[in-house]
Amino acid sequence: MDGVRMAVLSSRMNVIVEGMMNTIFRSSRSGVLNAAHDFSCCIVSADHQLVIGAESLPIHMMSGPDLISRAIAEAYPALTRGDAFLHNSPYNGNSHAADHCMVVPVIDDEGVHRFTVLAKAHQADCGNSQPTTYMANARDVYEEGALIFDACRVQQNYADVSDILRMLKLRIRVPEQWWGDYLALLGAVRLGERRMLELGREVGWDTLGEFVVEWLDYGETMMADAIAALPAGRFSARTEHDPYPGAPDGVPINVDIGVDPAAGRIDIDLRENVDCLPNGLNLTEATARTAAMIGVFNSIGENVPPNAGSLRRINVALRENCAVGVPSHPHSCSAATTNLADRVSNMVQRAFASFAEDVGMAECGAVIPAAAAVVSGTDPRNGKNFVNQIFLAVTGGAGTPWTDGWLTIFHVGCGGMLRRDSVEGAETAHPIRVRTQKLVRDTEGAGRFRGAPSAYVEYGPVGTTLSVAYGTDGAVNPAQGIRGGLPGGPSEHYRRDAQGNLHPLGSQGIIELADGETIVSVTAGGGGYGDPRERPAEVVRQDVAEGWISPERAAEVYGVALGENGALDSARTAELRGRPVSA
Amino acid sequence: MRFAVDTGGTFTDLVIEDGSGSLTIYKSPTTPADPVQGILDAFQVAADELGRSRESLLSAGSMLFHGTTRGLNAVLTGNVARTALVTTAGHPDMLLLREGGRTQIFNQRRPYPDPYVPRSLTFELAERIDAQGEVVTALDEAAVVELARSLRAAEAEAVAVCLLWSIVNPAHELLVGEVLRRELPDVPVTLSHHLNPCLREYRRASSAAIDASLKPLMTTYIAGARARLADAGFQGRLLMMTSSGGALDAAIVADAPIHSLNSGPSMAPVAGRFFAGLDAEADMAVVADTGGTSYDVSVVRDGRIPWTRESWIGQPFLGHMTGFPSVDVRSVGAGGGSLAYVDAGGMLHVGPESASAVPGPACYGRGGERPTLTDACLVLGYLNPDYFLGGRSRLDVDAAVKAVDVHVARPLGLPVHEAAAAIWELATEHMVGAIEEITSHQGVDPSRAVLVGGGGAAGFNTVAIGRRLSCPEVIVPLMGPALSAAGALISELSRGFEVNGKTRSDAFDHERVAAVIGELETRCRKFIDDAGKDILSSEVEYAMEARYPNQVWTLEVPIDPELTRTPEGVEKLVEAFHIAHQETFAVADAASPIEIESWHARASCRLSDPRPPVLAPGGGTPASREIYLAGAGWRTAAVWRLEDVPVERPQPGPAIVETATTAILVDEGASFVRRSSGTLHMVPGPRGEATTAKAEVI
Repeated sequence: MDGVRMAVLSSRMNVIVEGMMNTIFRSSRSGVLNAAHDFSCCIVSADHQLVIGAESLPIHMMSGPDLISRAIAEAYPALTRGDAFLHNSPYNGNSHAADHCMVVPVIDDEGVHRFTVLAKAHQADCGNSQPTTYMANARDVYEEGALIFDACRVQQNYADVSDILRMLKLRIRVPEQWWGDYLALLGAVRLGERRMLELGREVGWDTLGEFVVEWLDYGETMMADAIAALPAGRFSARTEHDPYPGAPDGVPINVDIGVDPAAGRIDIDLRENVDCLPNGLNLTEATARTAAMIGVFNSIGENVPPNAGSLRRINVALRENCAVGVPSHPHSCSAATTNLADRVSNMVQRAFASFAEDVGMAECGAVIPAAAAVVSGTDPRNGKNFVNQIFLAVTGGAGTPWTDGWLTIFHVGCGGMLRRDSVEGAETAHPIRVRTQKLVRDTEGAGRFRGAPSAYVEYGPVGTTLSVAYGTDGAVNPAQGIRGGLPGGPSEHYRRDAQGNLHPLGSQGIIELADGETIVSVTAGGGGYGDPRERPAEVVRQDVAEGWISPERAAEVYGVALGENGALDSARTAELRGRPVSA
Repeated sequence: MRFAVDTGGTFTDLVIEDGSGSLTIYKSPTTPADPVQGILDAFQVAADELGRSRESLLSAGSMLFHGTTRGLNAVLTGNVARTALVTTAGHPDMLLLREGGRTQIFNQRRPYPDPYVPRSLTFELAERIDAQGEVVTALDEAAVVELARSLRAAEAEAVAVCLLWSIVNPAHELLVGEVLRRELPDVPVTLSHHLNPCLREYRRASSAAIDASLKPLMTTYIAGARARLADAGFQGRLLMMTSSGGALDAAIVADAPIHSLNSGPSMAPVAGRFFAGLDAEADMAVVADTGGTSYDVSVVRDGRIPWTRESWIGQPFLGHMTGFPSVDVRSVGAGGGSLAYVDAGGMLHVGPESASAVPGPACYGRGGERPTLTDACLVLGYLNPDYFLGGRSRLDVDAAVKAVDVHVARPLGLPVHEAAAAIWELATEHMVGAIEEITSHQGVDPSRAVLVGGGGAAGFNTVAIGRRLSCPEVIVPLMGPALSAAGALISELSRGFEVNGKTRSDAFDHERVAAVIGELETRCRKFIDDAGKDILSSEVEYAMEARYPNQVWTLEVPIDPELTRTPEGVEKLVEAFHIAHQETFAVADAASPIEIESWHARASCRLSDPRPPVLAPGGGTPASREIYLAGAGWRTAAVWRLEDVPVERPQPGPAIVETATTAILVDEGASFVRRSSGTLHMVPGPRGEATTAKAEVI
C-alpha cells in the first residue's frame, strides 16, 4: 500500500468535492440549499464504489450514490462524455424523491468511463400533490405526486435535453427558484467532471485506479481496527415511531446486531420488521442501509473515512417490501430521510452505547417539527408565490460518553451539518414574523452528559395566510437516554389564535394559519448519557446559573443542592447523592 | 522616519523606514505580561544597531503603525470584560444557537461551544421592529432605565446591544444607547447596527459582543502605549492596523477595538499586492504566509483584496464567527512545525498538529522527537544546518534523520530520504488545497496569478506549489519573512462604511439609493477631512452587495455611484453583477434582475509613497550542495546567498537561495532571477506530466 500516494490523491479529490459543494452553496436559489446546506457531493468509481464524499449530510451519502451510479449504467450501458442525468427514484437507489441527484460520468480521452460525480440536493419543492417535500401522510406514490426521474438524461454532449426540463417547469412550484437550483447542481457536477479529467490526465488513469483500490482498502482497515476494539457479542434493540396516519398504533422497529471483532465485521439485521406502510414514512434501500451505518459511525467511526471500503465491513440485512428495508412500488417514501431513518440510527447508536463502555451515544431528538416546516403561500410584499423549507431552531443533540449533546444537531441523519436561518434571513425571504426562539429549561435529557434541551419556536404570517407543512416524531416516544441517562423533552405543537389562546396540534400535517395566528413548535430534546447523579456538582451548579435547568430539577434529578444565592450546598448534595435513585 | 511594530506571540517585529525609504527589520522577544515593554525593547535593539539613543530614534518618527494580537489573545483566552448582551424579547439565544453547521461529525469528543456572552448575562427588552422597519412593539424608555439597573446589579463591565432589524430602523438601539450612556456612563456600549450593519442577527450580535468585551482592555492598552511611547520620545501619530488591511488612528480603534482583531494576517496581502505590482507581471496574486503551525492564504483580484464576514476566532464552528468584515484569509494547519505521522491504516499525515515553539522540530534540539516539515527539509538538504537564522543557530541533522526514520520511513517501508520527500510532498498538497479553496470561493484562476510567498518557512515549497497550480510566476520578497510588518508600513489609512439600502434592479428606488449614497459620501468625506495633514492623497471606492432574487448570499461588486442615478446606469450595474457571478461561480442568469442588499464605501488616504528597497547588484558565485527532490532523486544544486545573486540575470534550478531568515528551493526545471528590490522572482516551469487540459464549456 502506498501511504503517500493515498494521502496526496485523497487530499486532491477532497478538494474537488469541496469545490463542487461551494458551487452549490454559493449559487443556488432556495433556502434549503443556500441557507441550510441540504446537499452533498461525491465521487464514485466506474464500478459503483463510493470513493470520496465531501463532509455533508451522512443520510445522503453512505449508501445511495453507489446504487444510483449502477442504475444509470444499467439504463445507459454506453455512457459518453457530455452526458448528465437527473435521478431521484426512491425505488432505484435514491434517498427520497425530494433529493434531486445530478450525475455525470467522467469519460477519459479514450472514451473509457472512469468515475461518476454526483451532486444531490434537497429541493424546495418537487411537485408533490401538496406544498411539502415530506408527504408523510401520502397513501402511495400517486397521492404523494412527486415527479420521479429514473436515470433521465438531461444533457447530451454538454447541451440540454430540454424535454424533461420543460416538464419540470410545469410541475414545480416557483419554477424560477427551481431553475436556479438546477443550474447550481449542474455547475457543481460539471466542475467535478472537469477537475477529475485534469487529475486523470495529470497522474494517469491507471494510477488513479490503483489509488481507489488502496484507498478503499485503507478505509476497510480502519473500520476493521475500530471493530476489533469492541467486545464480541450479539444484541438487539427496539424502538417505536409515534402513531401516524397509516400507522395508528405507531411503528415498532427491531434490530439485531452482531459484533465479530476477530473478523472485523458488524452485522445488522433489520428484516424482522413491518411491511411497507400506507404512508410516506417508508425507507428506501439507500436510507435504510445508511441509517444503520450512521448509528455505527456515531458509535465507533471517529477515525474511519466513510468510503466503500469501510462500509463493506458493515453488513446491513434488509428485506423487500419492508418499512425499514427495500420499498416496493407504489409505496411512498416521501419522508425516507428523517422519521424512520432517524429511529434506526438512534436505535443502533443507543444499542452500541448499552453494549460497551465509551462507545455509541444516546438518542437524538426527532424531526421534522414546524420550526423547520415547508412554508408556502403568496407574499403580500411582492404578490409572488413562495415555497421553501425554513430552518429555525431545531436542537436535539444526544449525550455522548465524552460530551453534552451537540446543541444544533437538527437530526441524527444530518449530524449537525445543516445550517440555520437567521430570524432576519427568514423574515426577509418569507412574509412571516418569528415571535420567539429560545431554549426551554428542564427539557434536556438528563445525564452525566446531558442531551440538548428543546427549543421553543413561535412564528406566523404577516399580512397574509401561511401554509405550514411539518411531520415530526417524538411527541409520544421521546429520545431515549442510555446508561442511566434520561429521555429528552418531547416535541409539542400548538396553534395560537388571534386572541392568544393555544390549541394543541398533532405531530404532522399541513396547517393553514390566518393572519395574526402563530404556530408554536417545541422541538424534541436529546437523550442523556450516564447517570445524572454522576454529573459533577459544579457543572450542575453552572447549568442552573445559566438557566439550562431549574434548581428543583438540579436537586431532584441530578442530586445537587444549591443555596439561596445559587452557591453549591456540598453537604446537602452529598446527602442527596448518597441516597438511592428514586426516579 | 516611520515605524511599524508587529507584536507577535514570540517576537516583536520592528520595521523602520528611513528618510531614503529603505526598510530594515529588527526583532526583540515579546513580553506577554507587558507588550509595550517589548515594543520599547525592539526600539532599543534598533537604536543600539544604529548607534544612537532610543529617545532620539523615537523622536525622529512621524508615524508608528502598530499591529497587536492583544485583542485576539484576549478573545481566545476569554480574558475580556464581563460583557452583557441586550436582545429583542423572545430572542435571547442568538449567540448560543448560532448558524448551525459542524465538522468532523463522527468525532463526538468536541463539545458544542459556549456562547460568547453567557445566558446569565443576556437581557431581553420588550420591543420589536419588523423587516420593513415598522415598529411592531414600541420600546418604553422606562424599561431601558430598569435594564440599566439590572446591568448594574449584574456588574456588567461592557454592554453589546443587538435588536432585531436595527439595520433597517435603528431607533430602538439608539434609544438604548442613549439611556445606557446616561445611566451607566462608565460602562462602554456597542450598538450592533452602528458597528456592523449587516443582515443576520447572530453575526451582528457576535461582532457587537466581541467589540464591547474588548473596549475596557484596548482603551487601557492604547492609552498606556501612547503615554509610554511619548515618555520615551515618540511625538508622532499612533496608528493601529486593522482586520481590513488598513490603518486607523488609535483613538478610533479604542472606540471600536474589533477593527484590530485580525490585523496580523490581514496585512500580508497588502504587502503581497505591493511586491506583486512591483516585481511580477500578473494582475492577480495569491499571497501565502507560511508560519510554524499554519499556512494563511489570501488573494488579490484586480488590485482589490476580497473580504468576508465569516472569519472565525478559533476553529470554524467551534470558535466564534466575528461577523465583521475582515480580509478573507483561509488557514490550514500546515507549516514548518507541522508534525508528520503514519496512522494505523498505513496512511501518512502531515499536520494539523504542530510541534509549536516548544519543543519545536526535532532538529532544533529542544527535546522534540517527532518529525516536522522543517525536519524533512533539513534531511532533503534544503536547509543549511550551519546557516539557520543567518548562522545564529545550528540545526541537528542527525535528530531530524532519526525522527523521520522512526516515525515515517520505517512505518511506510521507505528509505529515509523518500520518506522526507513524502512529508514535503504531502505538506505541499495541503497548502495547494488551501489555495484552491480560497481561489474557488473568490473566483480567482491561479494559472493567471502570481504566487507571493511570505513567512519563515515559505521557501521550502513555494515554487512547487506554484508549479502544481500552474502559476506563471512565483515571488518571494526580501521582506517576505516579515510580510505583515512590511504591509503595515505601506498600508493606507482606511475605513469602510456600509448602509443597508435594499432595492431591486427591476424596481429601482432611485430616491432611496441617492440618500444612501449621499450618506456614504458624507461619512467618507468626514473620515478624509479628519485624516489630518499627513495624507498625500485620498480616494473613495464604492461597491454594492447584490444577488439574484432568492439567493441568500451576496457578491460584492465594485460600482461607480453615478450609475445609480439613471435607468441606463442601473442596467450597467446588473451587467456588472452578471459578469461577477460568471467569474465567481461559472454561471450567470443573464435574464434575471438583481437584488441589492447594501451599499459600501471605503475611504482610503495614502500616507506614504512606498519605494522599494534598492540593493547592491550582487555578483558573487554559488556554492553547491546535494539535495533530494521528490520524484527526481539526488541532484547537485547551486547554493546562493541572496545578496550574491546577480540582479536581473536568470539562473536555472535546481538551486537553493539562502537568506538570513529563510531558504528558498528552486526546483529542477524552474528558473529564478533576483530583482533589484531583493525580491526573488521564479518561473516554476511546467507541471510534471500535465497536459494543458481544455476546459469543457457547458
